[in-house]
Formats: sequence, structure tokens, C-alpha cells
Amino acid sequence: MSDLIVEVIKPGLFSTLQDQGRMGFQAFGVPVSGALDRKSASLANWLVGNDRNQPVIEITVLGPELTFSSTGQLAITGADLHPLLNGKPIPQNQTVDFRAGSVLTFGKSCNGCRSYLAVGGEWKVERWLGSACAVPYTENLLASSRLEKEQMISIESRILEEKRSSEDNLVKKECTDIRILEGPEFSLFTDKALQNFLEVEHLISKDVNRMGMRLKTRIEFCGSTEMISSGVIPGTIQIARSGQPIILLADAQTTGGYPRIANVISVDMDLLAQCRPGDTVRFHLIKLQEAYDLLYDELNEAANTST
Amino acid sequence: MGPLMRFVPFGEAALLIEFEQRIDPEIHQQVVSFANYLDRRKMEGIQYLIPAYTSITVGFDPLLWHFEDLAERLTRFAEKEWIDLDSDMTPPISVPVCYDPEFALDLEDVTLQTGLTLDQIIKLHTQNIYRVYMLGFLPGFAYLGRVDERLRTHRKDNPRLEVPARSVALAGLQTAIYPSSAPGGWQVIGRTPVSVFDMHKSDPFLFEPGMRVQFYAIDRETFDGMSKGELDKTSEKAMHV
Repeated sequence: MSDLIVEVIKPGLFSTLQDQGRMGFQAFGVPVSGALDRKSASLANWLVGNDRNQPVIEITVLGPELTFSSTGQLAITGADLHPLLNGKPIPQNQTVDFRAGSVLTFGKSCNGCRSYLAVGGEWKVERWLGSACAVPYTENLLASSRLEKEQMISIESRILEEKRSSEDNLVKKECTDIRILEGPEFSLFTDKALQNFLEVEHLISKDVNRMGMRLKTRIEFCGSTEMISSGVIPGTIQIARSGQPIILLADAQTTGGYPRIANVISVDMDLLAQCRPGDTVRFHLIKLQEAYDLLYDELNEAANTST
Repeated sequence: MGPLMRFVPFGEAALLIEFEQRIDPEIHQQVVSFANYLDRRKMEGIQYLIPAYTSITVGFDPLLWHFEDLAERLTRFAEKEWIDLDSDMTPPISVPVCYDPEFALDLEDVTLQTGLTLDQIIKLHTQNIYRVYMLGFLPGFAYLGRVDERLRTHRKDNPRLEVPARSVALAGLQTAIYPSSAPGGWQVIGRTPVSVFDMHKSDPFLFEPGMRVQFYAIDRETFDGMSKGELDKTSEKAMHV
């Protein structure tokens, strides 16, 4: 049987192939990458019977237009961007069948920022260092991981006999509560600055991409302005020279020279991925042990859903 | 007494090892040797290391390690014999640079800031043996130091939207080669025909922390000849992929 071809008619605002990312090359300046909302991405793959390492398409705010050359199954999770199959609305968070020649489009986005599209089967795409994710900062590396008009993606399609479904995991609030841990330079900030950081609602600026999210608040830093560059990781909150907090995301560079005031705990990174410019976040400082407990709870929960 | 080391929590899945906070080849050698030591031990659940000027970020699987357990293990390691001073004895890698005006995009700016002529810039840039302090910013982008004080420049006020791949540039007391074309604010003074990053190789990166590097000047003709050689190698590789 020949492969299912997904053809990109329109790429949408910013659509990329993402998987679990590439771990272990940060010493060479290679960002981790991977789906920003990992929970939604894994869920989409599970709904079509794929293992979690198959790529998914991460769709940002405005969805692409795609056609499918033969029958298969898809699932869409994460932000609600009103997906339509052949012009008819389809539900999210469940396995959906499509026929040869089907067209997938998206309507107006109403909730969240990033949606994930999984298609059942083995994706025959280029990988580098074990991952199909686009390599940030470099236009020419794995260029095919950024969806472009007329691009074709080959998939050895596989169909689940029994369809799957799941609860919507996206909870949208006026202000998103994000739990954080003290960062390496936390104690270099004054009590007043820390109080400000922890008490205000931070407005998310329009400077948001897969590398980071800039907030519109200003946090005063009185320590030495000449920091020696050191490692940074997704979730690190840096305070730029202007006082602006920057939350680093999966495509962030691996080193930085700004004071690291805090780190977002990993279970809350998925929430952050669904925040948009103009939304607000509030930070809650927790203890390291609590972060471990929350992580174990989440992993147990995930183990229960996918069995 | 051994080197000064401090273990700091960094999120719930990383630990930061801080050495003495001073940019110095000797302190950096401690960073590199300890990172190599950890690398050689191949500890289960240790996912990545980011050695930098005065620190190592150690990423771990929180299902296998807790910060406290790892800090305790690392404290025990730190008491052992792990410092390897030999890396300073290995000969530096020689990297050719063509300082042709066509490549030295910021020659005018650098001349203005330093008061040096092109010949003096080339002489100063090629005389020091640099140390790879850290990789970051882009895959394969190595921060090399330190540059002669007389070549000190500040970054461009308006960063270039695209610095060509293999550009050799200056910023502060550091120098670097752009592994691929990317936006950047460093002052470009030349270009190397050598590829410092090749995604098709099984070992894609020329540099790693702790290596020593020295530049030598080549003329345009040599540059063109060497670039052609690199291209041939690349197309050969592409055919095997």
C-alpha cells in the first residue's frame, strides 16, 4: 500500500513538526525543542495509536489547510481552533476518520494558543540527532519541519480498530497560575523586587515565540549587571537588563547572561504554552519537594490515561 | 583544598554546579575536567551537561534523581582526583581566516573603535591562542577568549538580520565563528572556509569546551580553493545520505 500524503495547501500562521525534542546536545548549543504543550502532543498521538515519539504538527493560533491523499485517522488536541473536515466541524480529543481527498481547515481560534494534530502511522520525515523538530535560529536545518505551501508529508498510515477519546485537558482562566521554584540568582534580588515579582499579575507582551515569552512587567535588579554567561533551560525566568522578565521555552538558546530569578516547574510548562499575548500570569513560589510531588502525581495520572 | 564548588537547585530536573565566579583559564579547566569526569561515568538518569565559563548545568531525570541525592553524589565525586590539566598541552586547532574586505563586513566599525589598521587587526587576532569557553546561542557557536585588549569592540547597535555562515566576528574580548547564517550583533572581520558545524556528520561539531584554537590568515585565492574542497566534501556526503 502506498503512503498517505499530507499536502500543505496553506501553512497557517506558524506550524511546525514537533516531537519529544533532542536531549543531550545542549553542551554544543543545540536547544531541546519539542512540543511546547507536551501533554496535548502526547495525547494526540495516543488518540491515533502512535507512540509518543512520532511527530505531531504544532499549530499556532491560525491553523493550516491540509489535504489527505488516502484514508486514515487523525486527532486534534490542545487549543480549540475550530477544526473542520471537508467543511464540517469535527470534535477535538478523539480519533477521527478521514477519506481520500479530505480537506482539513481551521476556523477562528477561541481558546488557547497551540493546537496539536496527530495522524496515525509512521511519519517518514527527516530527523536530526533523533528528532524531527525544526532547529531554531537556523533557517536551513531541517527546513521541512516548518510547514510551507505545497509541502508533502509521507506517512505509512495505520488505523485503529477501536477509536479513542479523552477529556478536554485545556482549562482556560482569566489569569493563569504558574508555580515556580527559586532560580540560581533569586537571592540577588531585593525583597521589594521579589515581592513585586510574586504579587503582580504579569501581562504577556506580543513578543512570544517558541524561544521565549516576554512579560510586560519590570523587575528591578540591583546586583552586578555583568553576569558571567551560564546554562539556561526551558522554564528559566530571566530578568533582562531593562527589568523585563523573559520565560524561556523549548527552543530557547542553551546559555544566557541575565539573572535567573526563577524556574517554572515542568508540569506547568504546558499551561504556559497555551497562554497568548495579552493574557496574564501570576507566579506562586513553591518548595522543591512540592514540585517533585506534583510531577509524580502527573506521571501517575498520565500512566492511567494511556493504558 | 580542592576547587571551590557549590551545588544549586535549578528547576526540579537540573542542578547547577558553580565554580569560582571569575573568567579564567584555570577555573575553566576545572569546569571542563569535572564535566568530562561526569561524562565518562555515564551515570544513569543524567541527561545532559552544559559546561560554561564558571558553571556546569547538570540535567537529570527526576524519576531517578532528587536534587539532594545528586548533590551528595557530586560532592563525593568532587573529593576524588578528577582534574585533568593535560588539555593545555594538546596543540591548538588551526583555523584559516580570510580577512578580505568582502568578508570583513564590519572592518570600518572595528577600525574606528580600535584605531587599528587591517594589518594590525589581523596580527592581533591571529597571535593569541584562544580557549573554547562555552558553546551556545546557535548549534556549534563557540565563545572563544580571550581577545587582545586592543581589539576590544562593543556589539553593533543594530544587529544584522543575517550574518553569513562561517563569518568570523568579535564582541568584547571574545571572538567566534558563525556556524550557520543567523541574526547577530557581533562585529564581522572575516570568514573561514572551514565548516565548524556540519549536520550531516555523525559528529557535527568541530569545537568543544576546553579546546584551544588559533587563527591564521589566508588570501582570497586560498579561501576559494579551500571552500571548493569543503563543498566537494559536502556533496559527497550528501550523496551517501
